[in-house]
Parts: sequence; C-alpha cells; structure tokens
Amino acid sequence: MTNNLRRNAGRTMRMTTIYILVSGVAMIIIFPMFFLFSFSLMSDYETYSEWPKPLLPRTSVDYRMDHSGNGNFRLSIWNVSENDWMPFGPEELNRNPDEIKKLSRFLNNYGNTQFSEEEILTAMKLTDQDGFYEFALRKSLIHNYRRFFKLYSGAARSVLQSLYTAGMTIFISVSIGGMAGYAFARYVFKGKNILKLSVLFVRMFPPVAIAIPMVVILGKMGMYDKPVGLSLIYSINQISMNIWITASIFMGIPESLEEAAQVFGTSKTGAFFRVTMPLAVPGLAACAMYSFIYSWNEVINAVILTQFNPTFPVVVYKSLLGANAQVHLIAAGSIAQALPAIIFTLFIRKYILQMWGGVKV
Amino acid sequence: MTSENNKERSMPVLTLTNLAKRYNRKVWGVRKMDLEVEDKEFVVFLGPSGCGKTTCMRMIAGLEVTTRGSIILHGKDITDLPPRNRDISMVFQNYAIWPHMTVYENIAFALKLQKKSRSEIDRTVKEVAAMVKIDQLLSRIPGQMSGGQQQRVALARALAVKPKLFLMDEPLSNLDAKLRVVMRTELKAIHQRTGATSIFVTHDQSEAMSMADRIVIMKDGEIVQVGTPDDVYFRSADMFVAGFIGTPPTNFFPVEMKTAGEKVELSHPRFAILISGSDADRLKNNGQNSLILGVRPEEIKVVPEKDSLLSVEVMVVEPQGSFQIVAVEIEGEIVKIVVGSAGKIQPGERLHLSFVEERLHFFNAETTKRI
Repeated sequence: MTNNLRRNAGRTMRMTTIYILVSGVAMIIIFPMFFLFSFSLMSDYETYSEWPKPLLPRTSVDYRMDHSGNGNFRLSIWNVSENDWMPFGPEELNRNPDEIKKLSRFLNNYGNTQFSEEEILTAMKLTDQDGFYEFALRKSLIHNYRRFFKLYSGAARSVLQSLYTAGMTIFISVSIGGMAGYAFARYVFKGKNILKLSVLFVRMFPPVAIAIPMVVILGKMGMYDKPVGLSLIYSINQISMNIWITASIFMGIPESLEEAAQVFGTSKTGAFFRVTMPLAVPGLAACAMYSFIYSWNEVINAVILTQFNPTFPVVVYKSLLGANAQVHLIAAGSIAQALPAIIFTLFIRKYILQMWGGVKV
Repeated sequence: MTSENNKERSMPVLTLTNLAKRYNRKVWGVRKMDLEVEDKEFVVFLGPSGCGKTTCMRMIAGLEVTTRGSIILHGKDITDLPPRNRDISMVFQNYAIWPHMTVYENIAFALKLQKKSRSEIDRTVKEVAAMVKIDQLLSRIPGQMSGGQQQRVALARALAVKPKLFLMDEPLSNLDAKLRVVMRTELKAIHQRTGATSIFVTHDQSEAMSMADRIVIMKDGEIVQVGTPDDVYFRSADMFVAGFIGTPPTNFFPVEMKTAGEKVELSHPRFAILISGSDADRLKNNGQNSLILGVRPEEIKVVPEKDSLLSVEVMVVEPQGSFQIVAVEIEGEIVKIVVGSAGKIQPGERLHLSFVEERLHFFNAETTKRI
C-alpha cells in the first residue's frame, strides 16, 4: 500500500518535472511568435507610447475630449501603462473641416480606430454640452495588415509572385523528384548509390557564393526577375529532397502490387496510376509541403534573382531595413508571411501523419 | 465427331518450348523448360529456392521477359504479350492485395477494367467471395485482416476473372503451419470445383505431393523430373529427386555390385544384399560396378536378429505421434528410419534392420541418374 503510494508519488514527480521542462522549451519557441502576433495587432500608439507592453493587445481604445480654452477642443487617450489620460493628436482643435478630417485620419493611423468626421462633430457638440466627452472605440485588428500592404507598394503583387513561384516549384520538383525517386526505388542500375548521394551535392553550394553565375545564366535564359526562373533555382534544391522522400515511399510499396494490377488488366503505366500513386499520396503531399514552405520562405536567392518582381519574403525583408521601420507593421508583414505556410501544413497534416505517425496506409 | 472432341481435349492448354531466362546476360534463371500442361490439370513446380520455378511462372504471367523460347496458351503464342492480354490470373506470395481498396473493390478491379456490367460484377464478386468464405468481409480494408483472410481475398480476386490459366506463386508460404494445411485442402477443393488449369509454385514437397496432379521438379533452372506424385516418390529420376521428396528423405548407400549367377550382390562395408528378378537384369545391363543404393526411411524394417541385414545402435529418436523417426549412424552417415509408434525405442538400443527388397532404388554413382 505505502509502496504503491510511494511509487505513484515518484511517478507524479517525474511527470511534473518532465512537463515543466517541456513547457519551458515550448515557451521559448512560442513566446516570441506570440509577441510578434501581439505586436501585429497593436496600434502605433500602443507600440511606441506604452511601456511595459501588455501581454494581449487592446481590443478597444478609450478617448476623452474636452476644452483647451478659446473654445477649442483637445483629445486625450487612456494610456494603460501610465494609468492616465495622455494628449493625443493636435493640441488645439477647432471645427475647421480640414482639421476634423486630419483628426479622423490621425485616429485611424495612430490609434487603429475608426471615427468619422460627423462623429467628431457630434463628439464636439456633446463636449460643449457637458464640458467633456468620454468614448470608447473598437480597435481594428486587421488595420496593420492593410497598412502594410498599402505602405510597402507591390506587397500584394509580390504575394501573387510568391504563390506562382511556389506553385511552379511544387510542380517541377514533385514531378521530377517523384519520377526519379520511383526509378531509384524500382530499378537496379550501375552507379545508383553514387547518383542517389550526388543529388544531395547540389544543396551544398551557398546561394550567395554562386550568385553571379546564377544571375548570368538566368539572364541568358531570359528568366531573370521572373517567377519561373526562381522556381527553377528552388527546384534544384527541392528535387534532391523529394527524390529521397519519394524513393523511400516507393520502396515501401511492394512491387508485387503493381504486378498484380498488370496481371489483372492494366498496363504498366495504368498500374502506377491506379495502385502506386494512390498509396504514395502521403509522401507526395509531404514533398509538396516541403517544396511550398521552402519556396515561400526563401529570401537569399529571391533577393539576388529578382529586381522589380520580388517575392513576398523579399518585401518583408526590405521592410525591416531602414530607419523608418515600424515594428507593428513589420510584425503584421511577418505574420502575413508565416500564415500561408502554417495553413498549408495544417491542410496536409493528415497525410504527413499517415506517413510518419504510425498510421499504416 | 467424337474423335475430334477427344483430340481437342488431349491438346495441351499450355505449352512451354525451350523456354529460358538469363539475367543481365550472365545468370541463368531458367536454362531450358519444355512442358505441356493438360486441360484442368493441377501442376506443381517444385524445387529448392533459386531453382527457377518462380522465374518460370513469372515468364508465363508476362512479368518477366523471356530470353528464349515460346509460351503457347490455348494455341495462341503469348510469349511477348503484356500480362493483361494473356488471360491468366495469379496469386502472389505476399498476397499483393491493394491496401487502398476494400475487399470488394479488390475483387472487382479486373472486372471493372473489362467493362463488365455492374450487376454482373456484383454477382461474380459475391460468388467467388462465397467460394473462399469471405462474403462477410467485402466492405473491409485489407489492413484490418489476418494473413489467412488476405490470402483468401487474393484467391477470390484471381478466381473472379475466370482465367484460362491460374498461377499461384507460393501462395501458402506466408501462412502459419496450421492454416497452411487447411488452405491446402480448400485450394484443392476449389480446383476440383472450378476445374481451372492451375500451376502452383512451391518449395514445400509435402504441399506438392498432396495437391498436384503432376509435379515438375526443377533444379538449377532445368526440369529434373515431371510426373505424378507417385512417380516422383516411387520412381525418382535421380538422387536429387529422391533426396528432395519425402520427409525424411531417401537414405543413400554407396555399394559395389558383383554378379552371382542370375542374381547380383550389392556389397556395402556393413551389409551385403542379393538382388534378383528384373532389378538384377537392369543392374547387369547397366554394366557399372559402383552404384548408389537408395532406401526410403519407411522401407527399412526393424526385424528379429536372425532375419536382419545389419545391426546398428540408435543415436536419436524423434517421436512424431503416429510414428517415430529413428536416426542411426552407418559408416559415418546418418540414416533415418521410420518406425511405427508401437514400442518405444530408446537411444543406445540395438536395432536389427532389413530392407524391403522390391522397393529399392538404384542410382548411377557418377551421373546420379536412376538405373
């Protein structure tokens, strides 16, 4: 009885220690990402005028309007870290339509809140009545994202370029890599092992080191600054990866399954498409995922090989440069950059689990 | 009219002529195969691993390109046809049922490709599924099934196409020993019911003996003997067959022959035996003096001392239930004897032995061929 208790206590201790360690490690990974996400939702004011930062961004902002003498108005914002009203926007406000328009834009750009000119006029009227007027505005959570794409011109187009490049990369590298992987899995030929190893060698060249030849060759091919050229470069890297993945997948599918299909009425090609291909889908999905993630995230080659048609990561990278970098906007760009890869991974998670999760196909 | 019918019936379904397979211009898989398979016959290719039996079957199926020779099925040369145009079906050693299809889809696969009507497919699938007793499993995925059930699916799939020739490549070797014996009986029953001409590859001689109409024994890519189970057992063509067929296999004794009038005397360092009648004539005609005497384990009898040929000390006894295998040592060779289970024999005991004279086998010492 006591023995049992002691054993249970020991077990609990062990598990607790493990969980603490694991969650510690998870925190190290998750917190920076979480803060990045949190920043991407913060307004300019929250980012630069409040310290320490709250764990979660605000969803609404409190404003107060009162008189500043001479019949003029003054707008304050509730500063969470100071726990006080702080001046926000121009000191002296009057009913001049230009100034009201400016204020409305200011509230939008620096507070991420929507407050129309008529609403400002109404607020002024109410301030005249009571001496002051306090109001809360819902903060727009996608404002920074919109702003990022507006501010960094070509960002939206670069997303399309990126998607196009990723699509081409998937198509080229999965089809060629898959075919080569099938050959490596099914046929015996001279120098097979050397060849299989040597496909990895192309990965060892640092892109910066071979930048000039790449630019020259792509230029001669008329593919410089084009998604096709970029996807060719990416495919070189990705094909070798896909060969190794698909070769192991095809090796795991017994050849006799294809032979049976041939005996029972299909051609050799038919057997591949009716039997081997459906069974290899998890592996091909994994290849597609890796190709997509690699192509979507790659920066160095893209910086070298594009000029007027950058991919999205290049735009995000360029937004980091320069003195006028705005942290909350960059955070929005970064999250926008990370999101598709995450969504894509979730989308084909099922197949990856089938392959490596012990779920037998 | 009747004579013509008879003639047609006696025409072979499958003819292999001078069939050979060489890999990479180096290794011979099959050196030379000449064989005729009759309608509704159950032929077993038997041999040790690497003897070319599976290669030969794969050539018949079209999964292996032939190096030389021809394959004729129902009067049509199919040597170079792709597998799907050959009118054959096959059961694979590792079942090879498609894991991404249900049992029903597996069985219906070939029928769908033949563009059969849906009702016809349904009828055929249910019919063959009932034949191999898997009609309860039709909606299952192969991954959830036992090896025996998977083998039944493979069998049903092969039966569904109603082929001209039914090939089975060691279909029972992945099953456990008990199930193998059950399936053996069922396979034979199915063959008797469908009457499909079948070729069955195995390395298990007891499987071959129990199922075959004719056994084709192969060694090093060539046919050693073709015959009924009785042929290969009682009239083994050479020492390889005699040593391969039967558990335990034939015991061999090198002997010297001496003519003694009508009879011949075969002498071994431990015994001498007189042979008379047709056996003696054959031996005399053969002319060679050194030969090998082959005696099957059950043809060595334990007899009273006065009738015995030789006496030996028992080395090991292996009880088998209905009989026991006694191993003794004669001139450095282990000789196995099958004795009835009545009367327990102990190691170290002395046994007095004699041979059943009319069932002795004689082999040429050099060519190992039967005399």
